[in-house]
Amino acid sequence: MGKPKFYDFCVHAVPDGDNTSQELATLAGHLGYSGIALANHSDKLPQAWPLLSPPEGFEIFKGIELVEENPSKLHGLIGKFRKSVDILIVHGGSETVNRAALENPGVDILNHPAFEKSSGLNQVLAKAAAENEVAIGLTLRSLIYSRGSRRIRLLSDLRANLDLARKYEVSLILSSDAMSCFDLRAPMDALALAEICGLEEDEAIDAMSTVPEKIISRKRPGTGYVREGVEVLEEVDSF
Amino acid sequence: MKRLLPSLRTKKRYLAFELLCVEHANRNDLIKEVMSSASALLGDVVASKCDIKVLGFEDCKGIIQCEHNRVKETRASLAALTRINGKRATLHVLGISGTIKRVNEKFLQKYKVFEPKSR
Repeated sequence: MGKPKFYDFCVHAVPDGDNTSQELATLAGHLGYSGIALANHSDKLPQAWPLLSPPEGFEIFKGIELVEENPSKLHGLIGKFRKSVDILIVHGGSETVNRAALENPGVDILNHPAFEKSSGLNQVLAKAAAENEVAIGLTLRSLIYSRGSRRIRLLSDLRANLDLARKYEVSLILSSDAMSCFDLRAPMDALALAEICGLEEDEAIDAMSTVPEKIISRKRPGTGYVREGVEVLEEVDSF
Repeated sequence: MKRLLPSLRTKKRYLAFELLCVEHANRNDLIKEVMSSASALLGDVVASKCDIKVLGFEDCKGIIQCEHNRVKETRASLAALTRINGKRATLHVLGISGTIKRVNEKFLQKYKVFEPKSR
């Protein structure tokens, strides 16, 4: 087995973040990532999808982070964007939004599930997440930038979610949630930080390479793809 | 004072790093930020066990020393560094080795600090 490929699935470019997507991609490539997903918040989308020339061996995925308080509108938005983006993220933050996101198989990642006095997950939601293959996003930016009581709160929420995710086999995904170039961290540094925050080494690696790869492969049909619903799984020479 | 025998000295790891920053930082500011970030993330007790020291820092690259079995903690606290002297900065670990000589040869000598065209 070679070196795992690392991906960062939540990076915000202009007009959401400070830097252009080209700058973010170049820096991410330099730090050792194999790909990033540009996932601007849905209220700050660029006018047009920027044409990019990614460095060799580097992939840029189209993503979106949906911000919507109303669950039925959220389902509508998911249906609207699902076809046009590779990675669909929902910005959680209340019980109804979390529930709506985790019960919709069209969602790839739920970020920031925590809200007041709760880590954002419970056994019901964790089961739903496992069933619909929605990954729970762990974001580095908030962990890096907060200090003291806020960081303590974030870490204890993370631990609570981690326990639930282990029990119900929910996948976790580690992303930077970068708003600018300075929020990106090298994969190995991010892994070290995740391990300090309570993840096991293999869980942390999975969260940065295996889970993202699984999400991409779900969106990208394999070689045997014929049309929607029809796929050649294995070619057998019957003669 | 007489130096400790080699067998009595603790083992070290040396981390080569580059600093991506808006403005060139000086060594004292870097040391201050590295220490405060380590003590904020790990707590003073664990941070003291890591034995973090900034050995050399020049032209936005340098070497940090730590205890050989505390590389993970050290790396994490370096990743948690966000600002130096109020200016935004990111510390990127290039590689780790057991001797200063090797870390120099392998990671630093020919290394050119990443310079994006616009930042």
